[in-house]
Amino acid sequence: MANRHTITLKPLNISIEVTHGTSLQDVLFPHGVEFPCGGRQRCTGCRVKVLDGPFPVTPEQEALLSKKELDNGWRLACSGIVTGDIEIELAQWEASVLTDNSSFAFKPKEGFGVAVDIGTTTIVGQLLNLSNGNVLAVKTALNNQAQYGADIMERINYAISTDAKVDLGIILRSQIETLLIEMVDAAGIPRDDIRTVLLVGNTVMQHFFCGFDIIPLSRVPFEPEAESYRTAKRTPAELGWKFNDSTSVVFLPSLGGFVGSDILAGIFATEIYKRNKYSCMIDLGTNGEIVIGNKERMLCASTAAGPAFEGARISMGMRASTGAISAVQQTNGMYTCSVIGGGEPRGICGSGLVDAVSVGLRQRRILSSGRFSDTAKNWKLVSPVILTQSDIRELQLAKGAIAAGITILLKRMNSSIENIANVYMAGAFGNYINRDSARDIGLLPFPTRRISPRGNTALLGAKRALFLDDIEELQHIQHRTEHISLNSHPEFMDIFAQKMTFPEF
Amino acid sequence: MENLKMLSEAIINGDAKKARELTQQALNHRVDPQQIVKEYLIPAMDEVGRRFECNEYFVPELLIAARAMKGSLELINPILASRGDKPAGRVIIGTVKGDLHDIGKNLVASMLEGAGFEVIDLGVDVAPEVFVSSVKEREPNFVALSALLTTTMPSMKQTIDALQESGLREKVKILVGGAPVSQRYADEIGADGYSDSASGAVGIARRLIL
Repeated sequence: MANRHTITLKPLNISIEVTHGTSLQDVLFPHGVEFPCGGRQRCTGCRVKVLDGPFPVTPEQEALLSKKELDNGWRLACSGIVTGDIEIELAQWEASVLTDNSSFAFKPKEGFGVAVDIGTTTIVGQLLNLSNGNVLAVKTALNNQAQYGADIMERINYAISTDAKVDLGIILRSQIETLLIEMVDAAGIPRDDIRTVLLVGNTVMQHFFCGFDIIPLSRVPFEPEAESYRTAKRTPAELGWKFNDSTSVVFLPSLGGFVGSDILAGIFATEIYKRNKYSCMIDLGTNGEIVIGNKERMLCASTAAGPAFEGARISMGMRASTGAISAVQQTNGMYTCSVIGGGEPRGICGSGLVDAVSVGLRQRRILSSGRFSDTAKNWKLVSPVILTQSDIRELQLAKGAIAAGITILLKRMNSSIENIANVYMAGAFGNYINRDSARDIGLLPFPTRRISPRGNTALLGAKRALFLDDIEELQHIQHRTEHISLNSHPEFMDIFAQKMTFPEF
Repeated sequence: MENLKMLSEAIINGDAKKARELTQQALNHRVDPQQIVKEYLIPAMDEVGRRFECNEYFVPELLIAARAMKGSLELINPILASRGDKPAGRVIIGTVKGDLHDIGKNLVASMLEGAGFEVIDLGVDVAPEVFVSSVKEREPNFVALSALLTTTMPSMKQTIDALQESGLREKVKILVGGAPVSQRYADEIGADGYSDSASGAVGIARRLIL
């Protein structure tokens, strides 16, 4: 038996030589295949089409894939061990990551700074000349931790499990170091001229990066480490980075629960904390976060809502990348679908799903209970993309959680929808979602003219924070922001269930 | 009796007010409460379960149907208890330590009640010791454990281990469920039954009690 085998990735014709017994997960992740369940054969997120070569079917695959799919060569990449030459079709999976291009007022400083937003799924960094505010380099990447679990609970679970082969903290810190070096090289400046590296991210990313104990975040009451509420300062030496100690590395403090410094930076960027009138900021990432408040007081909460909006757990769901249906428009009782890249559709992303359900409700294909109105088991949107009844149910869970979060925060604030003057949509999804559709399905119960997309507010806030004379200024925002745990709210279950249904048309 | 067919309908449609009214009427007309449960409530919840299984119903419809059924049972149960009628079996249910999610657990509890079981709900974030002491005290046929987080699943194993150590394991059947739980995990930790749905849990409980 040959000791080495060749993996060929079609249609790009990339050949990779590996030793016998190598796991496909390790090989395919750098090529963009994602493993939403962490590679445990629990979802179909990593399915690939095997064109040639050995790839046995496991009972788990039989349960998750149809006979037809298996016959056509579809397999779950995570279960693959290379035992011979193998040819795999891998449609290119290029995800777009939202950076920030907005301009802002600042006070010039000496030297260079880097702002980094560490998302559960994506990481983005910008290198700035602090004397003129110019962005000299931008770098985006998928979070290398993603192959060990799609969402934060999966990551925590991996980290605390006894058979974890890698340290997720080390993975994250070394990926950020690589990203920094790439940016410094792209900008063509000496490493020593980087004065500050300022990082933001949700509480879990903060705990991994800073090396805090992750166990308290694994169980009730999900209370982060006390250190989590302070600005963490690290030297490159402490992090094992090849940077001089003249560079200071700062991770901004969290707000409570899973709501981290990315949201703190978002509040800073959207200036909710300066206004008399109430504003609302919603970040629909892998984890959904909501902030409501004004200059007196702010409330924040997080909900596990994101997966459906990012295409996870949707039968033909995918991220907003080439081939995804990103919009559905109603035209004279019919509808048209827009596909990213303009080619053949191969799946649907979050904004397309929200649009499709809005059209479905208007055309009475979908009832307010979420059921398809006819007895058909699914809706053939445009060949080959279909929506199943369970896909609608997943969206109902996600939108129910966000809408329930908004309702509970408003109640706690003794306020109501009418009192919210501005609604800021943070993050990539907020940028692409159609506001009318979001309102139609009851996801954002606000008048559409009050809703505005604000892009990557976490990165913008981090960038602005680079120019602060005293970073502690941000702690004033933190002190005025209270974290509300939605799950322990006595009415959560009722409100959640109530918000799962769609508005009547 | 036509009125009682309407009772099944009221529960399937989640009309709590009507379900209560019809139940009270039937009791006033001296209909046997056991007959109300067996011929109208159980089939109604079976139908609700069937609709949920085939994706016709979703969590909101399930919750309001369960609430309607609960209203009926509140009128019926005291009478059954005073007559000394035996329930189909006794179940202790709870969401395991570290986990606060209760929608799934409540649905399973309602479906079991609707199927004629006596259900003792210990709530959420229930420590293994609490399960152990409740089992000692109430001597149930089943212990049903729920977890929604991958990080709290290990509490299921700890609970089963605690029952084992107290010598109670062989006295009960253990049912497990929740989004991250699988048949494989159930086998691994030595549970007796697993279901991925609330109505499925009823089927398993009925099968295991024989």
